[in-house]
Amino acid sequence: MKKMKEVLLSLLKLSAIVFAATILGKIFTGLGFPETNIVVMYLLAVLLVARFTLGYQYGILSAVVSLLCYNYFFTEPYHTLAVNDPGYLITFSIMLTTSILTSALTTKEKFLTKDANERGKESQILYRLSSKLSDAADMEAVLKIAAESISRLIQVNVGCIYIGRHSEPIYIQQSGEEQIHRVASDVEKIRKEYTNLRTEYLEEEEAYGYPVNGREHLLAVVRIDKTVKKEQLLDKKKLLHSILDNVSMAMERIEVTVERVRDRENMERERERANLLRAISHDLRTPLSGIMGTSEMLMDMTDKEDRRQELLQGIYQDADWLKSLVENILSLTRLQDGKIVIHKEMEAIEEVIGCAVSHVERSFPDRAIQVDTPEDFRLVPMDAKLIEQVITNLLDNAVKHTKPQEAITVSAGYTEDYVVVSVRDEGEGIAKADVSNLFKIFYTSKTRSADVKRGIGLGLTICETVVKAHGGTITGRNRTDRKGAEFLFTLPLAEGEKESV
Amino acid sequence: MFKEKILIIEDDVQIQNFMVYTLENAGFSVEGVVNGKDGISYMVRKNADLILLDLGLPDMDGMEVLYKIRQWSEVPIIIVSARDQDKEKAAALDDGADDYLTKPFSATELMARIRVALRHYYRMNHSESEERPDDTVYVNGGLRLDNGAHIACKDGKEIHLTPLEYQLLLLFMQNPGKVLTYHTILRKIWGEGYGEDTQVLRSVMASTRRKIEQNPAKPEYIETEIGIGYRMREYETGK
Repeated sequence: MKKMKEVLLSLLKLSAIVFAATILGKIFTGLGFPETNIVVMYLLAVLLVARFTLGYQYGILSAVVSLLCYNYFFTEPYHTLAVNDPGYLITFSIMLTTSILTSALTTKEKFLTKDANERGKESQILYRLSSKLSDAADMEAVLKIAAESISRLIQVNVGCIYIGRHSEPIYIQQSGEEQIHRVASDVEKIRKEYTNLRTEYLEEEEAYGYPVNGREHLLAVVRIDKTVKKEQLLDKKKLLHSILDNVSMAMERIEVTVERVRDRENMERERERANLLRAISHDLRTPLSGIMGTSEMLMDMTDKEDRRQELLQGIYQDADWLKSLVENILSLTRLQDGKIVIHKEMEAIEEVIGCAVSHVERSFPDRAIQVDTPEDFRLVPMDAKLIEQVITNLLDNAVKHTKPQEAITVSAGYTEDYVVVSVRDEGEGIAKADVSNLFKIFYTSKTRSADVKRGIGLGLTICETVVKAHGGTITGRNRTDRKGAEFLFTLPLAEGEKESV
Repeated sequence: MFKEKILIIEDDVQIQNFMVYTLENAGFSVEGVVNGKDGISYMVRKNADLILLDLGLPDMDGMEVLYKIRQWSEVPIIIVSARDQDKEKAAALDDGADDYLTKPFSATELMARIRVALRHYYRMNHSESEERPDDTVYVNGGLRLDNGAHIACKDGKEIHLTPLEYQLLLLFMQNPGKVLTYHTILRKIWGEGYGEDTQVLRSVMASTRRKIEQNPAKPEYIETEIGIGYRMREYETGK
């Protein structure tokens, strides 16, 4: 229907313009102007027709009609299509060629303009979108903008679901002019479906789903209601993709910002906590020395059989435990502060192990620790004080989790690039639930038996921090050759790499 | 009965109390002061047989006190310090302190260090007047070093040492119970101009240990003081 109307309208325009040209021609002849003016008049008519109608065909048609009119009305014999002067044939053919060319050029120009206009409109849409997106402060704002602009573009309802990594999923549905929050269900399923999507979009029950991919992972899914016409989707395909690209960029930007803010907050909180801990620990150290010294002195002054001896022993042991806790906290806060540089020097691992062992044996006189170090002697770059603490912590742990008759062994060995130190015991081993949490800060086992001395979950964290700062690795697991646990850590033999924590 | 006089320069009253009680219990005469100035003036006026010196004093640096006293007195000085002051400890030992104690320490440790320092002091004073003969036989636990015959034995069996190893062992046998810093050892064995490179020292120490120790990583004789140096454990039979 619409097409018919358009054709009729075009034809009407054509006849009107050619008619007007003919009338003007008649007036010109009446006024005695030369014939060339009439030819030019018709050329103008063809140009106008091409300008105001759609498609080449009307231009060409108008050229032919103009020629016939000229022939009919203005060449001898008048009012016939016959020609007396053969010279007119040349005029006709030139006139026809010129008018056809003019019409073609005009039409083409018109198409180009239309194209440019459309592209301009698209880039305007994109520009407006991206400036809106760059103003968006959070993920929800991005989703709202995306849903609105896509929905406006293709005139159907659009839903946007964010399923990225950094927050809970958000589902915004554009429904007419309104935006509603919906609950995104089965996010994992969606993620799975869209992450491995090979096609451009996924045809769902009620919508076409387009993935919004980030550089590393799927960010969101845009659901376009199925009431949309396929041609329209095809038509706006390019624009739609540009919009999706823009949205993806905005989402990534927000993910990065959120992450950075979160990191900074975490760091600050961590630092504050460390500072507090350090201040407390530092102030605890001196009175603890006093308590330990005084209780020891009282023990010396008390008769061995006296029941008070036991009480004093308790005071001393608790103070001793607190002291080692304080030392651990101080080391850890110093390390995690990130300011302290590890002072690596060439050290003999056997000396460091020796110190740690004698330290532990002094605290637990009833325990004998077996030591096994290699015959060959090598110097390894390390901060000896810190590595001594690592070994001491591992040994303390081993002592805590074994009965006196169960053996504890420290051994060292060299591989091509590393020295490997292991602490093995024959105790209860590591509970399944604890394996993955061994090195977490403030993690203490919930499965340990009640008679085991309480820990605070710092020892292994310190070990890990220290070893990692040296560029080594640490692992804890149950022994395979017998019952018990084993902890292994490595230190690189070559100097360099990470010098500070 | 002669009572040795011990001066304690320590600003923490609790720790000072503990030290005073322990030492008085052990039969020493004890004087405690809480800052460096009082400590120096006490030494000038009354003198003492041994000083326990805290490095962190309110009025002046413990190192300064050490330096001032050392200008006129050879009295044994034991440094008392916190755990994370290794650099200062080593520097104090190099500058003439005799030993160090790390807070918190036990009464047993305190007494052991004081005994070693005093014994050393007397021995040194003794030998200074008489020049210790080169052919002394040193004995400590199962170790026996006959400097006249240039023979070292462990549990009655001769052990073969290289000249450097022998020098090293001799140095420790002469200073049982005393901590020797890397700096001191290097100067005594390798000479003044050798510098501060401890790597050779460590490897000589490692080979010496393999000859005198049952298990070098669990030394019975020469113990490691990380970041500072070594100390030969003193056995009672070695007296």
